[in-house]
Amino acid sequence: GDIAFRFINYVRSVRERQLQQKLKHHQNLSWQEISESYQEDKSKSLGNSQVVVCDINKEMLKVGKQKAQHLGYSEGLSWVLGNAEELPFDDDKFDVYTIAFGIRNVTRIDLALQEAYRVLKPGGRFLCLEFSHVSNPLLSRLYDLYSFQVIPVLGEVIAGDWKSYQYLVESIRRFPPQEEFKAMIEDAGFLKVDYQNLNSGIVAIHSGFKL
Amino acid sequence: LEPSLLPFLVCPLSKRPLRYEEATNELINEELGIAYPIIDGIPHMIPEAARTTQKKPPAEGLKQP
Repeated sequence: GDIAFRFINYVRSVRERQLQQKLKHHQNLSWQEISESYQEDKSKSLGNSQVVVCDINKEMLKVGKQKAQHLGYSEGLSWVLGNAEELPFDDDKFDVYTIAFGIRNVTRIDLALQEAYRVLKPGGRFLCLEFSHVSNPLLSRLYDLYSFQVIPVLGEVIAGDWKSYQYLVESIRRFPPQEEFKAMIEDAGFLKVDYQNLNSGIVAIHSGFKL
Repeated sequence: LEPSLLPFLVCPLSKRPLRYEEATNELINEELGIAYPIIDGIPHMIPEAARTTQKKPPAEGLKQP
């Protein structure tokens, strides 16, 4: 959802800029022409761009949809309940596939990667934001301490849910490190696969292209 | 259901196109004889939520995935 909002903002800002350029270069437009171009912009502020948000959990989708409505996003945004391992989309349909803090929870990550590859258009990009591994030994010890001693406690105190936060930190440890995940992405057929560490590897962004 | 979404959706099992049935607000896979519900405007594209088109739609709410 959040990535969808950022994408929509980006498309709108590009179109806004294009419109301004257009108006700048046509100083002698009649009033009718000017008002027509503004109306066109209002009815299709995204042009032909579309975002589809897919999640297996109904509650997540509900929260996302409410947030979108609250923030004023409606046009060009669709919500689908589906399984990342078995996507309800046809082949070669999307320019970009993004997944943030989701792939860690998929049972068969290899299937999710294969599905991502399938639904992307040739030239399309796969982007994954996910918890990863800290290589620096000192930082790693501090991170482990924080993860296992502090996070579940906060989970219990604030949300009354120790178990979910225990699951969270365990699932982070279980997830493959950067290079291994990169290899998995390559196995699915992606090329030019690379990753970028954020916060010394606590989080990483992996990217690959369907070429 | 967002009209621009329909061309993108296929059956997750067979990857074949679906037919939107306005009367029951479902997406039907004729070949396999299954129907995916649309609840609160969100298509539920998982087999667990689907029903076979031979039987009548269930009276109660559907199970959570």
